Amino acid sequence: MGLLLVAVPVLLVLWLIVWPIVVAVFTTFQVDTPKGPAWSLESYSFFFTDGFSLGNLWVTIWTTAVTTVIVIAVALPIALYLRFSNGKLAAYIQSIALFPLFVPSILLAFALIRTIGPNGMLDTLLNAAHLPKIRSPYLTPWGPVIGLTWDNLPLTLLIVLSGLANVSTASVEAARDVGAGSLSILWHIILPRIANSLLVAASFIVLGLFSAFTLPYLLGPAAPEMMGPFMQRTFIDVNNPTEATTQAMITFLFCAVFAVFYVRSVASSQRRRG
Amino acid sequence: MAKLELRQLSKQFSTTLAVDDVSLTVDDGELVCLLGPSGSGKSTVLRMIGGFELPTAGAVLIDGQDVTRVPPEKRPTGMVFQSHALWSHMTVFGNIAFGLRLRRLPADEIRQRVEAVLELVGLGGYGKRQPNQLSGGQQQRVALARSLVLEPKILLLDEPFASLDQHLRERLREEVRDIQQRVGITTLFVTHGQDEALALADRIVVMRDGKVEQVDRPEVVYREPRTPFVAGFIGQMNLVDGDIRNGRIEAAGMSVATPLADGRAILAVRPEFLELGSATAADAPVAHRVIDYGTHLMVDITVKDNAERLKAMAPANSGWKAGDRLTLRPREVAVYREGVVAHRAVVTPESSPAPVESAHV
Amino acid sequence: MTDTSLTATAAPRLSRRIDWPGIGFAAFLSLVILVPLLVVAIWAFTEVWRYPSILPQKFGLRFWGATLGRNDVWSALSTSVLLATTVTALSTAICLPAAFAFARLNFPGRNIFFLSFLTVHAFPKFGLYVTIATIFLGLGLVGTFWGVVLIQLVSTLMFMVWIPVAAFQGVDRRLEEAARDVGASPARVFFYITLPQALPAIIAAVLLTFVGTFYETEGAWLIGAPTVRTMPLVMITFINSEVVVQYGAVLSVVLWVPSFILMLFARRFLGPQALGRGLGA
Repeated sequence: MGLLLVAVPVLLVLWLIVWPIVVAVFTTFQVDTPKGPAWSLESYSFFFTDGFSLGNLWVTIWTTAVTTVIVIAVALPIALYLRFSNGKLAAYIQSIALFPLFVPSILLAFALIRTIGPNGMLDTLLNAAHLPKIRSPYLTPWGPVIGLTWDNLPLTLLIVLSGLANVSTASVEAARDVGAGSLSILWHIILPRIANSLLVAASFIVLGLFSAFTLPYLLGPAAPEMMGPFMQRTFIDVNNPTEATTQAMITFLFCAVFAVFYVRSVASSQRRRG
Repeated sequence: MAKLELRQLSKQFSTTLAVDDVSLTVDDGELVCLLGPSGSGKSTVLRMIGGFELPTAGAVLIDGQDVTRVPPEKRPTGMVFQSHALWSHMTVFGNIAFGLRLRRLPADEIRQRVEAVLELVGLGGYGKRQPNQLSGGQQQRVALARSLVLEPKILLLDEPFASLDQHLRERLREEVRDIQQRVGITTLFVTHGQDEALALADRIVVMRDGKVEQVDRPEVVYREPRTPFVAGFIGQMNLVDGDIRNGRIEAAGMSVATPLADGRAILAVRPEFLELGSATAADAPVAHRVIDYGTHLMVDITVKDNAERLKAMAPANSGWKAGDRLTLRPREVAVYREGVVAHRAVVTPESSPAPVESAHV
Repeated sequence: MTDTSLTATAAPRLSRRIDWPGIGFAAFLSLVILVPLLVVAIWAFTEVWRYPSILPQKFGLRFWGATLGRNDVWSALSTSVLLATTVTALSTAICLPAAFAFARLNFPGRNIFFLSFLTVHAFPKFGLYVTIATIFLGLGLVGTFWGVVLIQLVSTLMFMVWIPVAAFQGVDRRLEEAARDVGASPARVFFYITLPQALPAIIAAVLLTFVGTFYETEGAWLIGAPTVRTMPLVMITFINSEVVVQYGAVLSVVLWVPSFILMLFARRFLGPQALGRGLGA
């Protein structure tokens, strides 16, 4: 009976996720020869020898790394503050920090362009304060970094907060009682306990960023571009689905470690909850 | 070894006054119990001593030094929490050694001291275990060891046995008392169980609604409760509303000479001091239920016009049964007026109602 | 038992420490998060705003009529609404029974199938879309309404299964047992006890799905363009080729309405802990 109820969604997953990947493996690892399809790494070797493609891959890795570090560096202090404070100020901070969850990417892109873009609000304010103009990050690799940080902050904050909820206040007070200052407590008591949450947050960000499209497309330069816009251009404008699929497979590969970690972590927390 | 002084300590939370003007002195090596129902403020007082709450008024002094604003990591206090609060990612050894490592002591000395304190709490050799491999009682002992190893001046225990079962609780509190006396450390112990307080304390501080009701040695608190609340909280007590007329208090059919002005008052008599005799009158108090505890009988008594039943303790072989008509002969009583004890009396078994001895308070 | 020697003077009141970190965080976040949105809001109500003045020279509602009068805006709006409704309805119909089965019934392969929904999020999404697009090319689904429906449906699956599962599991069994005890049949128990108890979280999930689909950009462009044009795609055109800023600003404000409604509801139905847990923290 249960099988019947779950049949449709499961089949959907099989048809639209598992099957396309299988097909992708076949189309990208094969090449058409006069004798019929044959196994070959030609698609991949093209990618890895093409300077243009490699440049895009590189900027994706760079953007992902920088954004992940910045997001966690911002989210962690806020999460720690929220965990150990209460009151109206803390409630306000939590509401604001979670607000980006309710701002869709395109609207965010538009807002950021109008703020940090050329002649945007930032330029206006700097001008009014008679400060020198700074080069707008719009249409540089830093543009997507700013947008993606903004976008990923709430989810990361939620994940870290969820991990921090498992650190009991009594264990922190016990540490203070035996003489630990705030830094010692952070390093010896809190971080070991939330290490898993931090890794889950990082995995989430990496998986999201490696395939981000809207924000890099609208805020980043035309070249080098991140893998998301690159794949879209290859598929539609260049009209080369095989090459696009190869690019997709390569993103899968680079995220594989994080994907495995993410799946295992969620699976084990599900098992723990029964 | 240290003297602790609390001066007019108060703590106001946004909606409640949790602690109201509490003052107390604790001597060197004394074990004082803070006893009271939940919400009485006893845990808040303890946390203010430990530095985890900032008082809204008043001062905390240790050995004469004002530590009111000193943060917990710099105070010479050690706290054992209700939930043991052991760090699950460290071994037992790691938990105890953590404070010593922070003070950058040499590794040899750390090992020596940790092993010594493990022996002290009866867990010698348990260093390599993980906290989740220990039983509840063992975990609390590790928590105790973790505080003791740093040789604090004041030891604070916040209902440490609340989550353990009865037998374990009794055994552990004896051990804690032994350790405390051996080490000679000034200790404050918060509990809501009066048998725990009576068994352990050098002195008991009975608290209610943030205020101190009485501070005395256990036997004094038991025998001479200062207020009706303390009287009812410690042990079993019959508290009966009555009237004083012409130098005698009349309550639930009992009559005792009381040299106080006329008016309302409360008569208090413990079950063990309420003697029973047979009665014939049809409206005399009647035994509602008799429970045989083996060593004694506990008789529930219904008195006409009284909503609450009285309890009397009778010898095991006295043979009382439900339905028996009784006369009540109180032997030791206290009379409370306006929330404070006004008169105590011991009634000798001569023909009542006239008492032979009486004592003012 | 107060110390009588000190009753003459009241004990000194201790001041509260100022919460510098809190103020810092609040200021930083307010600046970074609220300012860009405020800028767009100002633009939406502007008639003339020339650099470098801080505020518009002339406020006005002229562009509201202009934007809402455009044909491409209205057709995209109807497409988006139709799409979101279809996807949400399909997702609900498919996933809710499955969620109930996962939560309450035991059948072979339950765990594996349950975890299989994770795979949707275990791969970089756009890469997944590209592989799906390749298949769709072969099936002729590219550029069709139903092609877009399918691809958007896939990304709703995980939330529409996992959140209701948590909701069903969270229903206190004792409530159901009490109902059975007074004579209710299993079907009655489901409709009168289980479902209402799980309803808040389920409604939140449905809302999330609708709003998420409404704003979905990647799949819609990859599969739908150029025939199926949703609101996000119109927005992108505005950003890329529209010189007049106000069109985009007005559209932003209009587009934000569903998200705003979601925000009001989400606060009521889902606490932050539940969201974090639903994502697998």
